[in-house]
Amino acid sequence: MSFQNGILNLTNWSANVILPTLAGLFIIIAIIQFSRGADYSRAMYGGFLCLMASGLLRALETFTGQRAWNNPDQYWIALVTLVDWLGNVILPLYAAVQVAAGAVDLMTDVRFHYASGWMRHFAAAGLCLLVSGFLRLGEFFVSQGKGGVT
Amino acid sequence: MAVPQLLNDIINTLLSLAAPAALISLVLAGISLRREGGTTFLIGASFTKWMFWSVLFLTLTPLLSWFSSFGVGVPLPGRGIGTSWLNSFQADVSSFVNTFVISRLATTLAAYFVLRAILDTASGGHPLPSVIAAMFLLGAQATYTLMQGYNTGTQYATADTLDSLWNYIAGTLMPITAGLAVVGAIINFAMNKPAMRLASVALAMLSVSALWYLVVAMMS
Repeated sequence: MSFQNGILNLTNWSANVILPTLAGLFIIIAIIQFSRGADYSRAMYGGFLCLMASGLLRALETFTGQRAWNNPDQYWIALVTLVDWLGNVILPLYAAVQVAAGAVDLMTDVRFHYASGWMRHFAAAGLCLLVSGFLRLGEFFVSQGKGGVT
Repeated sequence: MAVPQLLNDIINTLLSLAAPAALISLVLAGISLRREGGTTFLIGASFTKWMFWSVLFLTLTPLLSWFSSFGVGVPLPGRGIGTSWLNSFQADVSSFVNTFVISRLATTLAAYFVLRAILDTASGGHPLPSVIAAMFLLGAQATYTLMQGYNTGTQYATADTLDSLWNYIAGTLMPITAGLAVVGAIINFAMNKPAMRLASVALAMLSVSALWYLVVAMMS
């Protein structure tokens, strides 16, 4: 019996046994919340995330593996890679989901989120695809103003 | 003048009792770990103090070799304990610590910590701190064996062992606990609690050594 084995097995048990079970619970909560017209998105995404714990850890390991273990820039590069992945991989996918939700909303007048309308879905999709552009725009404004007010 | 046999035997007995003392220090460190949070500990508080004592007892003999470099001779008796009652005393104490304290008492304490984890949850707390402390107590013997492997037997053995323990925590334990942080982040997200902190902690747990080198680079 060693402390390392204990922590390792606790991690494996919670990520591979408990979380998949909780995924079902969160999906149930999401359905009940949906039926009551309340916000169900956190429970729904939580349910999906519960099934992806190992994948998320592997993703974080990949982010931190961009540089050698003793490279001082490792944490920064990992954060950069995380932001890059969120901005260029996840957000375009989310944009597609928003377009689909907006289209359904427009056609059937069914709101997927209690506070949303079709215009919000389409605007969110556009913003998701414009993250890099907004960032470059902000950088442009800052670089234009670096000389100060004359 | 030759050192009396009884004095040599007393020195040998005390040095032999350093190993059981290191084991008892580990048990006390496990109890202190729960008091200080379970998933974390305070630098300079009880847990670090008992861990330091454990390492110090383990590396006591190599540490004494510093006196030779100071010009003070410390002739350590190499042979076993000649006086029978002292030999018997040393064996009894070692046996008591190994068979009673480590094998039975520490296990029972760990079981109580598991009970405490359930009661913590019932009272609105978190079960993880008590579970971690229970695991530390159950793994006290293995941790001692691990530290023995880190003992270089040189004048710097104490520092070497502490260095190796840091490497073990940063390189072996932290990447494993990053998984626990991801699990915590997911549950927090689904329960509408702050999750970003745990996600960034998971990233940091996977790059502890790099953060150390970052701090070192900042100092130069």
